[in-house]
Amino acid sequence: MSRLQEESSAPWRVGVLFSRTGFMSVVEDTQYQGTLLAIEEINDAGGICGRQLVPVAYDPGSDASAYGHFAKRLMIEDDVSTIFGCYTSSSRKAVLPVVERLNGLLWYPTLYEGFEASPNVIYTGASPNQNSLALCRHLMDTFGSRFYLVGSDYIYPRESNRVMRELLKANGGSAVGERYVSVQARWQDFLPIMQDIRRLKPDVIFSTVVGEATAYLYQAYANMGLDPRRMPIASLTTTEAEIAAMGFDVGEGHITAASYFQGIESDANRAFVTAFKKRYGGDVSTNMCAEASYFQVHLFARALEQVNTLDTDVLRSMVLGTSFEAPQGTVTVNPASGHADLWTRIGRANRAGQFDIIDESHGAVHADPFLIGYGRATAHAG
Amino acid sequence: MSEALRKPAPVREPAGRKSMIQELADLSAVVVAPVDDQTNLLVRELQRFRMRVRQVWPMPESVPGDADVVYCEYCADLARRLPWIPGDARSALVVIVPASDPIQPEALAHATPDAVLSRPFTSNAVLSSMVLARSQFGYARRLRGKIERLDENLRSMRTVERAKAILMATRRMQETEAYGFIRRQAMDRRVSASAVAAAIVDSFELLGYDQHTDPQ
Repeated sequence: MSRLQEESSAPWRVGVLFSRTGFMSVVEDTQYQGTLLAIEEINDAGGICGRQLVPVAYDPGSDASAYGHFAKRLMIEDDVSTIFGCYTSSSRKAVLPVVERLNGLLWYPTLYEGFEASPNVIYTGASPNQNSLALCRHLMDTFGSRFYLVGSDYIYPRESNRVMRELLKANGGSAVGERYVSVQARWQDFLPIMQDIRRLKPDVIFSTVVGEATAYLYQAYANMGLDPRRMPIASLTTTEAEIAAMGFDVGEGHITAASYFQGIESDANRAFVTAFKKRYGGDVSTNMCAEASYFQVHLFARALEQVNTLDTDVLRSMVLGTSFEAPQGTVTVNPASGHADLWTRIGRANRAGQFDIIDESHGAVHADPFLIGYGRATAHAG
Repeated sequence: MSEALRKPAPVREPAGRKSMIQELADLSAVVVAPVDDQTNLLVRELQRFRMRVRQVWPMPESVPGDADVVYCEYCADLARRLPWIPGDARSALVVIVPASDPIQPEALAHATPDAVLSRPFTSNAVLSSMVLARSQFGYARRLRGKIERLDENLRSMRTVERAKAILMATRRMQETEAYGFIRRQAMDRRVSASAVAAAIVDSFELLGYDQHTDPQ
């Protein structure tokens, strides 16, 4: 049982599953980078209990089922029990049966639709009560109550839009349109949607388009000559990485809700941004997914240092309830759900491809993946 | 042991329910093991339960998974050769373990067998492994199904709550009245309450929001 040997100098092996090729690579590559940066920092500081952390990484190439097969390979051939990875909900759901059956631990650094709490997953991205709620309130206060919903056609956008429709309804707004495009959509797929939008004249376009298609949505919007100051695209998934892909001028003025933006003023974030740019080049930006990928490895390392074993049951018990000074602020893994309590922020993209933070929570918002504590009117209380 | 003694023990037949032995009839089994006296005994036993048996050897790169039960010889990389990912098995799996050659416990655990059958085989051991594998595999599958239904119910309950709120606001119904309305519609249309609720919510959304019918 090599993974349980405690008196050893053998390295700790951990799995890393992010797509570095294919249509999801635009954001997953930054998650890979955040993960690796944290691993390198930990190793440079002497490792964990004197042992180095060694990543065993595979590239599932943006194919959801490949995540399941690579998770199987990691756990049965590479003798790995802890895996950092996944962006889309489809990829997480492909890994889930493997880690649940073989009692592994998946660290999932991505915002998602909630309604899940596996004992074999630690969730470090935002669930809907940590982003949609504040975004809906901000948009209704600032722009108006008629929303047009557009998303990539898979689990996360459909569920996020469902939550957004509920919030709108509960607070006197409405969804005037709802359209989905393939995750591999090209620019021409957004033309009919833009025409629809011009006809319906919503106050806000709420987007859960992900991956490469994100750039095409914003470019189609810009080509139509629409004005983000009057009718912005508001998103939960458009980060600095997507803004860089679409062009800073195209992204300017649009809104994103996230736990993290590169522009956060704090020592922890300055250190993170400096290290990230030093490692990957001055012109790359950090983003919420890279940040979650980064802090979750540090959180993991802290717990491992304490228990000195990768045994899932022992390690997970140690992780639950622990806090970490992340670049976004202090985060805590909520013991009730295994989801991190995260900050809520609203950002508006500027000409430099960064987000100006125009609103933020006073502290970390408790994760509520099943939306138990959120009634119909909480959009005004969260 | 004589042929006579090896007949299956007489089984009680509770009214309307097959005995376990009867349930085995017509099930399919794959036996991945070298042809020898032991394997012949195993195949004969399975056939005696009127199972359809296919024997495979040498050990294939990908173990056939298209059977109700797979008996498969232990090997150190067995998990890799299984045609499914752990947690998503499509057949009950019995791993055949050698009498004295050492085995690795991790390799056995990774294959996630529902039962094991140690060499040398006996007819009781074969039957026991079959009963255990079928029962464990079926139970895990039922639990997975139950979790899926619970997840679904959780979502339905939210939809029903929203539909109730809409009815209370737009039709000026009391809470119990609104639930009753949803239930009656479901019975009349022979669909689930959650389907009726979803239709109410969708149509309310389609018709658009009206200040005067705000569920708040």
